[in-house]
Amino acid sequence: MPGSSFPGADAPGDTAVNPLAQVLVDGIFTGASYALMAAGLALILGVVKVVNLSHGAFFTLGAYVAYVLDSRGVGNPLAAVFMAAVIAFAFGVFLGKSFINPVRSHSFSVAVGSLGFAILFEQAAQMLWGPHPLSIDLGAPLAVVDGVTLRRWGVISFLVSLGLVGGLSHLLSRPLGLPLKLIAEDEEIAGSVGMDVEKIRYLTFGAASAVAAVAGALLAPAMAITPTMGRVPLILSLIVVIASGMEKVWNLFFLAVGLGLLSNVSAYLLAPSWSYVLLLAVICLLLVLRPSGLATVGPSRDY
Amino acid sequence: MSELLLAEGITKSFGANRVLRGVTISIGRGEVVGLFGPNGSGKTTLANIISGLVFPDRGRVLFEGKDITRMTMDARFRAGISRTFQIPNPYPSLTVVESVRVALLCGQAARQAGGEEKAGLEEELDSLLGRTGLFAQRFWPAAKLSQGCLRRLEFARAISCRPRLVLLDEVFSALSAKDEAELVALMRSLYREEEISFLLISHNPLILEELCDRVVAIEDGRVFWEGKPGDLARYVPAANHAHELEDEMHEEGGS
Amino acid sequence: MKKSGPFRHGKFPGVLAAGAGVLLLLPLAGIDAFLLNVLTLGFLVAVYTGSWDIVGGVAGQISLGHALFFGAATYACALLTSLAGWPFPLAAVAALLLATAAGAAVGALSAPLKGPFVALLTLALGEGAHEFFLGQTFFSPKGAYSWGGEGGIPVLLGGPSISPWTAYYAALAFLVLCTWLMLRIARSEEGLIWTAVSGSELSARASGVDVLRYKRRAFMVAAALAGAAGVGFAAFVGRATADDFSLELSFQAATFAAVGGRGTIVGPVLSALLLHSLLQGTGIPPAGRVLLYALALLLTLRFFPGGVAGTLRDRVRSRRMVAPGKGENR
Repeated sequence: MPGSSFPGADAPGDTAVNPLAQVLVDGIFTGASYALMAAGLALILGVVKVVNLSHGAFFTLGAYVAYVLDSRGVGNPLAAVFMAAVIAFAFGVFLGKSFINPVRSHSFSVAVGSLGFAILFEQAAQMLWGPHPLSIDLGAPLAVVDGVTLRRWGVISFLVSLGLVGGLSHLLSRPLGLPLKLIAEDEEIAGSVGMDVEKIRYLTFGAASAVAAVAGALLAPAMAITPTMGRVPLILSLIVVIASGMEKVWNLFFLAVGLGLLSNVSAYLLAPSWSYVLLLAVICLLLVLRPSGLATVGPSRDY
Repeated sequence: MSELLLAEGITKSFGANRVLRGVTISIGRGEVVGLFGPNGSGKTTLANIISGLVFPDRGRVLFEGKDITRMTMDARFRAGISRTFQIPNPYPSLTVVESVRVALLCGQAARQAGGEEKAGLEEELDSLLGRTGLFAQRFWPAAKLSQGCLRRLEFARAISCRPRLVLLDEVFSALSAKDEAELVALMRSLYREEEISFLLISHNPLILEELCDRVVAIEDGRVFWEGKPGDLARYVPAANHAHELEDEMHEEGGS
Repeated sequence: MKKSGPFRHGKFPGVLAAGAGVLLLLPLAGIDAFLLNVLTLGFLVAVYTGSWDIVGGVAGQISLGHALFFGAATYACALLTSLAGWPFPLAAVAALLLATAAGAAVGALSAPLKGPFVALLTLALGEGAHEFFLGQTFFSPKGAYSWGGEGGIPVLLGGPSISPWTAYYAALAFLVLCTWLMLRIARSEEGLIWTAVSGSELSARASGVDVLRYKRRAFMVAAALAGAAGVGFAAFVGRATADDFSLELSFQAATFAAVGGRGTIVGPVLSALLLHSLLQGTGIPPAGRVLLYALALLLTLRFFPGGVAGTLRDRVRSRRMVAPGKGENR
């Protein structure tokens, strides 16, 4: 399966003196980006109340935006982030208004439709940029500490992720975040208080999609850019959202970082495809054994 | 054993929240017992424990002398304990008659195993719907029923397999006066015809006074008082408030 | 695309019969061999998709690893005939049993779980099998070849090779038989309870339904039917490859079923047949096919949120409220 786009595993050869530590650090940085995606997915799950399978496509969109900018000489990651966010927001709002909102009452159809959008996007990307992996120049490292190369993408990813997750957590605990929480709790009440629930829904969808694109733009230099690169991040962020529950946003962050670490380390120690199998086995074990310490979106079992 | 159901020493916590702290309650055959308490008193959790939705941390539940503490909810239904839910969950894609048929099918299997004759399912279904006043709407999608009809559907489901104990969880709350009166009449007729015991959970003392043989008042996870319904207002302060409200409403000439 | 009109009533069976008649006569009208094969495969895919609807639509347990049962059957046929030298009919029976056993196992594992977790677990299991068989090679009895992965393992049918016409009619008969079977099951008492579990597990439990048991059984029945489709596929294509476990195939079951109308059986069967034929049979290049597929998903679901048959069925249901007493009960 798409095991070829694991960050760090494909990074053009750094001769890092301490490869395991390098993998660990890169894993943390990667996980931070996954946290962004997971946060967006959680927002959509909570506010729009749908499982969004197009999230990975927006991640890919962000990566390609970064690539296009880079190939035109605009190497500034923040510019890539900004463009990716704007474009993804526009697409997200469009998707939200034209499809997600009208079909919302059938949650399965929404999931399938969002998958359809993802497939559409993957195909379009393939037609525009071809199926072969592309890459963005990493640029000079920011610092080398103890044989571990700290790259620009990693540090910025981490900081942006921290900032956004922190901001979201802050927002939800403030009056400004109340509309979101209210809609998540009880839409009828939200509507009766005069909130334009439909509008908030598609705006949230757009914003969350923008966040996924930001994650893609940030992670792009470290990955092989292909049309299907968003699949693995989608699955990983799904796991993070489902496993961490939606109570505390920070749970998402730590779980995502942990998962990024796990996938990077296992990709380094084993092969990328084995890492994928390992991940699958972990999911199965978790779900079957269901240790009670794992928070969930409500209990995963009734029995 | 003259008791039908005995729940003793029931203790339950959800995380740090101690919802029930050693509650004991018994229900006799053919008895209508009321469970009174404000929100958060633990009465719903107690109902959930008796019906099998939740298992207690400590204590046990005995039904007809048998320990059913760890019995699943569906097994309890087949054994003769059924319940209604405060917020009905109708099957979104079934009609009224289909919804009740599900319960009849499952209960029937249990009864056949117990050696009883297989009654005509369709006749029983029709008679059940007739008694609960749902015959006219039997082909309607269950999800489209009004609140009052939904409660009656809950009733139909709960009594479909000749239970010995039925838990009614706030089944009369938020109903129009007409719906409430119909439901009360239904309950009374069931009570007379078949020796069904009821555990009636309500925060409305007026209903409890009207229907129950005995009332148990719960507060803060403990049994606060137990006695005759007529004495409820005298011993339980929370019950007085409702009386005052009712007097006010009568004065204003409202329902 | 799909027919309108009430279920089981009046026009619908007539239209279905007419469609079956068309399919019966098509080969005689002289359609070319390529299209014949596309349709034959389409019949098998339709059964596969219908089997998904049993567990994912009627019972509401969304499985994203349905290809596991399909692939288990094709691989069993291939390995038993090529490696162990079994005659095909025996291998076919074994394959069916294996698929059913896999269904029981998956059902047992996922029954205690709620919605999204069932999807996640079945996804993981399906993909796990896929990855495993991608890397797994088997040595042919003569030792000269190694089989497996994407190259696949041959299926030895024994006896004279089947003509495309025979295959076509056999597959068509198989489709009709399985569809009839699935409809009977969906409308039986078992199917009613599955629908109840799908709609509200809580109410079902409060009605005495042993939810765990019924969920397991739904998986078993669906897996058996998917396995049957797999056996037919193995016989027709003559090869079992790791793609038989692929994520695409698993997703396809779910997406075709969604378009057709989850829970209606007929919707998924027809939409699978139609979509498969359109995508494979018309001469569209692969890139175009994918675009068409995605667009079909998006557009159909946008205007028929419950799938085509599902949305039509809901409309018929709402009409019943206006005239209570008319219409059928189950």
